Amino acid sequence: MSKPIIQFSKASFGFPGRIALEEISLEIMEGEFIGIIGPNGSGKTTLLRALLGLIPPVSGQVQIFDCACEKLRCHHRARIGYLPQKDRVDPDFPVTVFEAVLMGRFSSIGLLRRPSRRDNEIARHALDEVGMADYADRSLGHLSGGQQQRIFIARALAQQPQVLLLDEPTTGVDMPTQQTILELIKKLHDTLRLTILLVTHDINMIVPFVNRLALLKTKLYAAAPPNEVLTKEILSQVYGTQIMVTEKGFVIVGDYHHA
Amino acid sequence: MLEIMAYGFMQRALLASVLIGILCSVIGVFVVLKGLSFIGAGTAHAAFAGVALAFLLGLNPMGMAVLFGLMTVWITGLLVEKGRMKLDVSIGIFYTSTMAMAILFIGFMKGYNAELYGYLFGSILSVTPSDLTVIAGLGLAVLVALFLFYKELLFIAFDQEMAEASGIPARSLFFLLISLIALTIVVSLKAVGAVLVYAMILIPAATAYQLTRSMKGMMIVSILFGVFSSVAGMFLSFIMDIPSGAAIVLLATALFFLSVLFSPKRRKPLWPVKAHKS
Repeated sequence: MSKPIIQFSKASFGFPGRIALEEISLEIMEGEFIGIIGPNGSGKTTLLRALLGLIPPVSGQVQIFDCACEKLRCHHRARIGYLPQKDRVDPDFPVTVFEAVLMGRFSSIGLLRRPSRRDNEIARHALDEVGMADYADRSLGHLSGGQQQRIFIARALAQQPQVLLLDEPTTGVDMPTQQTILELIKKLHDTLRLTILLVTHDINMIVPFVNRLALLKTKLYAAAPPNEVLTKEILSQVYGTQIMVTEKGFVIVGDYHHA
Repeated sequence: MLEIMAYGFMQRALLASVLIGILCSVIGVFVVLKGLSFIGAGTAHAAFAGVALAFLLGLNPMGMAVLFGLMTVWITGLLVEKGRMKLDVSIGIFYTSTMAMAILFIGFMKGYNAELYGYLFGSILSVTPSDLTVIAGLGLAVLVALFLFYKELLFIAFDQEMAEASGIPARSLFFLLISLIALTIVVSLKAVGAVLVYAMILIPAATAYQLTRSMKGMMIVSILFGVFSSVAGMFLSFIMDIPSGAAIVLLATALFFLSVLFSPKRRKPLWPVKAHKS
């Protein structure tokens, strides 16, 4: 953790009359693992999409790798792996696991060129990294939700990214699988020295893995190690008074129903 | 059987059906995977309106068909991108209003124009040498474009958001794809007809979808079915003296239903057996 790799400077996103994120200032260091939490509609996904340069800021600035996000050139984009919040793939959709992972190479390969032997190797290695090497020729749609998530992580890894953006990677899978996916992400963070931003609604599950938690609800309310963020005073600003923090730091959100 | 190939019109018909068979089934894979089936139906009618206007004003029918076809897909693409209107609503309006325009243009004409009706119902056996030049020229151009951007087009067909996020120029490629769909329709218009051209795009790819589990496999199977049904349909049309477009499309449809019956993806029985509670 040396120099900042991502910098939000008073950056606002949305459009006049409907601001999604307001005056966000946040520095993220190389190699950090950040959990992004907040109620539904608090701008968590917008934050990730802004980093990908998909939404330009209406005011302020956001930079990644010393480059304004909205001006990201293609080879920079490839250095950011992104896992969008996703439904299960249609079981009949004809795509094999390997075909899906190889797509992670396409932006680096560039237009008009075919994947080389090296691109195939990188894709196979990425599958190996998530422990799914044996599934290369299987139909993606026939895998379970958790397995599909691993494949999408492998596709992001095939981009050989420095930064990994994960949007609710554990929704729609059962509890034990959620745990294994998070452990996999943690392992990748440690071995590949990735900078990771992970959006989640499950505060308690993410706490053991992250360096810092960023608490969002249009504004950034906190960005600090979990024990400093998970206090009733700070959380109640965002979640209202229906919140409990147990002695062991376990958070129970009272009136909060996620879809 | 082989002696009929000595006729010039049969040679042209065979070449045209192979070319159109390949073209429609390749573009069909992207159409089916990306869920764009309705765009093509609307575009075929718009292209026919262009042809009708060309006949009315004495212009080049193919040129006007290209113009009308491209305008339709671009306007539809922009509406989809802006999210201003639901896709099925905007296409539904295009579909019917361009057909109304075609009827209006035909109404202005004096008498019955058999050649114009050829564009509506298609006749692969009456493809002229100059038609074949247009089919081959435009068709090869579309195939080259598909070949050059093959991997990116597959990516956006699978997941446009992911493609864009990873740095693929997804929006430009989407417009390229719908433009290629429009050109494919125009190329096939004379041979298959505005009413049926869309079946040529949809059915071989939909058949392949039932039978394959990889994108590469779907492409190969779609081409095989597309070329087989257009060539076999063309011969049937000649031998049995039935309209060519109908022969090709009905043959393709029969293959489609067979593929549904024998698809490995349909593990459930077609006639579900009632479960007995024990």
